[in-house]
Amino acid sequence: MAKLSSLFSRSTGSRELRKQPLFTGMSWLVLFMLYAPITVLIVFSFNDNRSVVRWTEFSLRWYSAALENDDIRDAALISIQVAFTATFFATIIATMAALATTRSGQYWGKSASIALINQPLMIPEIVTAIATLSFFSILRHITGVTGIGWLILAHTVFCVPFAYMPIRARLTDMSVTYEAAAADLYASPLQTFRYVTLPLLMPGVVAGAMLAFVVSLDDVIITLLVAGPGETTLPIYILGQIRRGVTPEVNAVSTILIGVTVIMVTLTFFLQRKRK
Amino acid sequence: MKQKLLHTIAISALALSAVAAHAEGKLNIYNWGNYTNPEMVKKFEEQHGIEVTLDGYDSNETMLAKVKEGNTGYDIVVPGDYMIAIMIKEGLLAEINASEMENFKNVNPDWVDVYWDPGRKYSVPYQWGTTSFTVDSDVYGGDVNTLALIFDTPEELKGRINMLNDMNDVINAGLRYLDYPRCNSDPEQMKELLALLVKAKDDWRTMDYSVIEKLTSKDVDLSQSWNGAAMRARADRPTLTYAYPKEGFTGWMDNVAVLSDAPNMDNAKLFVNFMMDPENAAMTSNFARYANGVIGSEEFMDAEMLEAPEIVMPAGAPVPDFVQPCDQDVVDLYNQVWTRLKQ
Repeated sequence: MAKLSSLFSRSTGSRELRKQPLFTGMSWLVLFMLYAPITVLIVFSFNDNRSVVRWTEFSLRWYSAALENDDIRDAALISIQVAFTATFFATIIATMAALATTRSGQYWGKSASIALINQPLMIPEIVTAIATLSFFSILRHITGVTGIGWLILAHTVFCVPFAYMPIRARLTDMSVTYEAAAADLYASPLQTFRYVTLPLLMPGVVAGAMLAFVVSLDDVIITLLVAGPGETTLPIYILGQIRRGVTPEVNAVSTILIGVTVIMVTLTFFLQRKRK
Repeated sequence: MKQKLLHTIAISALALSAVAAHAEGKLNIYNWGNYTNPEMVKKFEEQHGIEVTLDGYDSNETMLAKVKEGNTGYDIVVPGDYMIAIMIKEGLLAEINASEMENFKNVNPDWVDVYWDPGRKYSVPYQWGTTSFTVDSDVYGGDVNTLALIFDTPEELKGRINMLNDMNDVINAGLRYLDYPRCNSDPEQMKELLALLVKAKDDWRTMDYSVIEKLTSKDVDLSQSWNGAAMRARADRPTLTYAYPKEGFTGWMDNVAVLSDAPNMDNAKLFVNFMMDPENAAMTSNFARYANGVIGSEEFMDAEMLEAPEIVMPAGAPVPDFVQPCDQDVVDLYNQVWTRLKQ
């Protein structure tokens, strides 16, 4: 909530917005609609019986079942492995792209580059998925290389625009005077980047990385079509259960994931506050 | 310079994570999610010293989309009956000549000359079942063995019905009620079918695959469902009765097959032979809760399954109707009807 209000106070006309009638009521309604399903999910992970809709009594059996379930554990590990690697590469690429599109003035092809970077956002995911599937199939045939690298590559590509946007926003907010001052003091471009730009850019980079991580973690369609043998991620595993009936183990795993994400976001928030 | 560095990192990452798919002792199975008995897989691994990976798909069509592009890395897939016919036509399955394998004598002769793979050159039975509907006999006391419950709903069931969210299952049920042929390309008959479906839809509550959850939570009292799902729902709601409508109902069979570009062809053939052993077929049945097509598996199956009316059809029930895949123009017509129905 603190982040939300700081967002609002930066925009003009914030006073009028907050004083609008029903503003508080609408905010609570929206938050409820967003989080009520998740709350139900979490509550039913502690349910004793097998049904995901009828409550009997409190129990932790699904957590022990989920932690002992080899398939869930493997799927979660693959999800995290792919997400971390894809986030790492995507953030690097996105930082370079953001610097190139904000700090280097007008050049031929600049808006085309921006459009290309943001392309995964605009094209329906199923189209990207099928195109990637066809393309990788040809490449696999030509090179004979198999393995999880392909899936990581696909994830990196669609994570780049998600990392790109916060970094670019942060760059446009930052004034160039710091970098100009560093240049005046005989710093080389690399030194400027390392000692001036990057530290100032860090909040944007971290935000971009987090966004990319989350997007990679819950991707379904592209992963469904591109993943090879032994590369089942957690969302794919859960999807595969639907035809045959979902057990509350899924609720338990999801609750654990939500818990981890909340902890990560909170940590990042506090880290950023300290930086200021 | 940064880009060169990145380039190198990317290539090494790809190379490091590359797994030689042609290693000895591996098998990659691509089956429906939660449909393979893990103990059976372990038994196969120990018996043959082969390392097995198991991945899950949610529909025949997803699997087909991936396999059609080729080089998926999977060896074994488990398509439904109509999908096997499609895949054989497209040349996606390897001709393994299952009928010449050692364990083939155990396969029930009824399942040898089937429309999708006559003589069993490409596939062997995995699980089979029927798709009909199940209804709570406490809510509706009359004769359940008729499709009139879905298309001309009695008062007590109005608004309490769930249909499967499956184009073929819904349209075929309607065609059977009107006594029209399956794979129907007659525009007049399909118009009549659409009118019937749209009118009946008023009495339906939902169109959803999560049949067991809907029935056990008492969200609905009648649901189109597969026989195995109906049996599992009956465990939680004992008054449910699985119907064998006199107008007919769908039969389906999932089959184990080998992809034509399988990297581990020999191991895959070993697995196909393994699946025809009665004890292993029974392990699958006990896990997936459906009938298998292997004789002699009865002595290894759970007693509860051998007594269930969902698994063992009562005498006098019509023969299950295995529907063949329809031509593209019929599928297009069905798609139009389905889209109109879902609006």
